[in-house]
Amino acid sequence: MKKLVEEKGTKRAFKEADVVTTGTFGAMCSSGAVINLGHSDPPIKIHRAWINDVEVSHPGAAVDLYIGAAQMSETRPFEYGGGHVIEDLIRGKEVELRAIAYGTACYPRTKLETVITKDDLNQFILLNFRNCSQRYVCATNSSDEILYTYMGKLLPRFGNATFSGAGELNPLMNDSDYETIGIGTRIFLGGTQGYVVGEGTQHDPGNLMGTIMVRGDCKKMNPEFIRGAAFTKYGTTLYVGIGIPIPILNEGLVKKVAIRDEDILVPIVDYGVPRRERPKLGKVSYKELKSGKIVIRDKTVKVSPLSSLGKAKKIAETLKSWIEEGIFYLSAPVERLPLNTVFKPMKQSENIVFVETLMRPAVTCREDEEMEDVAKKIITHSVNHVVVVDAQGKLKGIVTSWDITRAVAENRKSLADIIVRKVITAAPDEPVEAAARKMTQHNISALPVINRERKVLGIIASEDVAKLVGGR
Amino acid sequence: MVRVLLKFSKDITSKPITSQVIMEQEVLMNILTARIDQQGGEILIEIPSVHAEKVMEAFRKRGVVVEPHKPVVIDKENCINCGACFSLCPVNAIKINEDFSVAFNDEKCLGSACQLCVDACPVRAIKVNE
Repeated sequence: MKKLVEEKGTKRAFKEADVVTTGTFGAMCSSGAVINLGHSDPPIKIHRAWINDVEVSHPGAAVDLYIGAAQMSETRPFEYGGGHVIEDLIRGKEVELRAIAYGTACYPRTKLETVITKDDLNQFILLNFRNCSQRYVCATNSSDEILYTYMGKLLPRFGNATFSGAGELNPLMNDSDYETIGIGTRIFLGGTQGYVVGEGTQHDPGNLMGTIMVRGDCKKMNPEFIRGAAFTKYGTTLYVGIGIPIPILNEGLVKKVAIRDEDILVPIVDYGVPRRERPKLGKVSYKELKSGKIVIRDKTVKVSPLSSLGKAKKIAETLKSWIEEGIFYLSAPVERLPLNTVFKPMKQSENIVFVETLMRPAVTCREDEEMEDVAKKIITHSVNHVVVVDAQGKLKGIVTSWDITRAVAENRKSLADIIVRKVITAAPDEPVEAAARKMTQHNISALPVINRERKVLGIIASEDVAKLVGGR
Repeated sequence: MVRVLLKFSKDITSKPITSQVIMEQEVLMNILTARIDQQGGEILIEIPSVHAEKVMEAFRKRGVVVEPHKPVVIDKENCINCGACFSLCPVNAIKINEDFSVAFNDEKCLGSACQLCVDACPVRAIKVNE
């Protein structure tokens, strides 16, 4: 269709095409499934339940449960989660259900253990509250360490980039003011027919970041188009396949579905900064992203899709064949997706504390100082860390009281030999929580605070953070 | 060329073994990756096939464990062709084809010595054969 419009123009394309099918297959964390177990004997009003060690929350009456895709297994966290439970059930596998309850006059049972498959469930309905994001940012990482994020693995110092979404194939992108999409729109969902329930959470049409809420019958789904997944050190999720048919009702819709990857721009966002407003380093089009290489700060960087573009295409083609075979009928929405909602940030009633307010002046030394002098500094200032700087006050390394103790025990004399040169640092405008996380991760007790020019501004130690938490 | 993985235990890290083997055997070696410190580690080298046997023997004699190089294995059944692995490969062994399928070249892969892509696969379809 996109080619048809380019070659023959809007008018001819309008005459020739009736429907354009779209597709996307990506990680959609705000997904899950409602199940109804039927009643046990004696009956139970489930208080907490687990399937394959993944907690499944209990939103309503006795035996209705919601399997959240991002909820992780208590025994295999970060590897197996709600998304995998949904996939396993769809595949027809047996799963283990455990539940506890407080017991009531009408629901006396307090404990339950059973093995079930999807055939044993009354309902097994996919109910995803945010799917099919119209477009998404391109992620990269300026920091000195590998970051594991919901945008995948990001190598240090702009070592790579990732993006998500299908670009010109994305369903919402092809009808960006939702003329044909809304409550009741019949769609391709996980290999079967599903429906749009309404706008998704965080629906943000003004920024071309629309989302949808969808439902579909899991019992009829095909695991080729719905897969549990795990992002290392981030958590589990569900890859969901969605396709929406766009009926070409007028020439305006022809123009909308003619959108190309080069017209869809997204910001390059630096995930090295652990804040809500992360720095943006420019814009790229989906055409550039799909080429596998983009330029960030004059450096060519390889970029990975996280969504499967091949599968997105297959979904659009499958939907097309369903329509041609007469097994899928288009439906008009009862109500269109709204165009006036905004995505507000969270209201926070407590202030976040930044490294700047908690850091202390660093005790420093130079590389060529005698070890005894550094030891004296540790004693006089009653500290555990001495930061090694050059003549300009720039960070060269760090020495701890432990390093000195070990050097004495091993009879080593030169300070230069014991300086730790690969130093984990903090930035002054970093939230204290992010700094504390770094210390825990690297099993260290202090971080020199440096500016962009690597000049040492101070030091933040775990005991300072502990005081803050203890003082609350 | 043959790729060989050299495993150094911590007892032998203080000796200049690689240099000794190069000088003794007079063979040019290409070090592809090296991850080694006082606690031990691994070096992946590339050597001309004709000299491979004697070079491996020279390393073994010095206490180095010599193993054939093992590229990672992609389970095609499981792979969803998302391409998350693509940008992590330092030697361009992973390619995304025109039809968006993911192609893998075992000859370029640094295998167990690299493994950058392994934990990036959302469906755990990439494995290292130990």
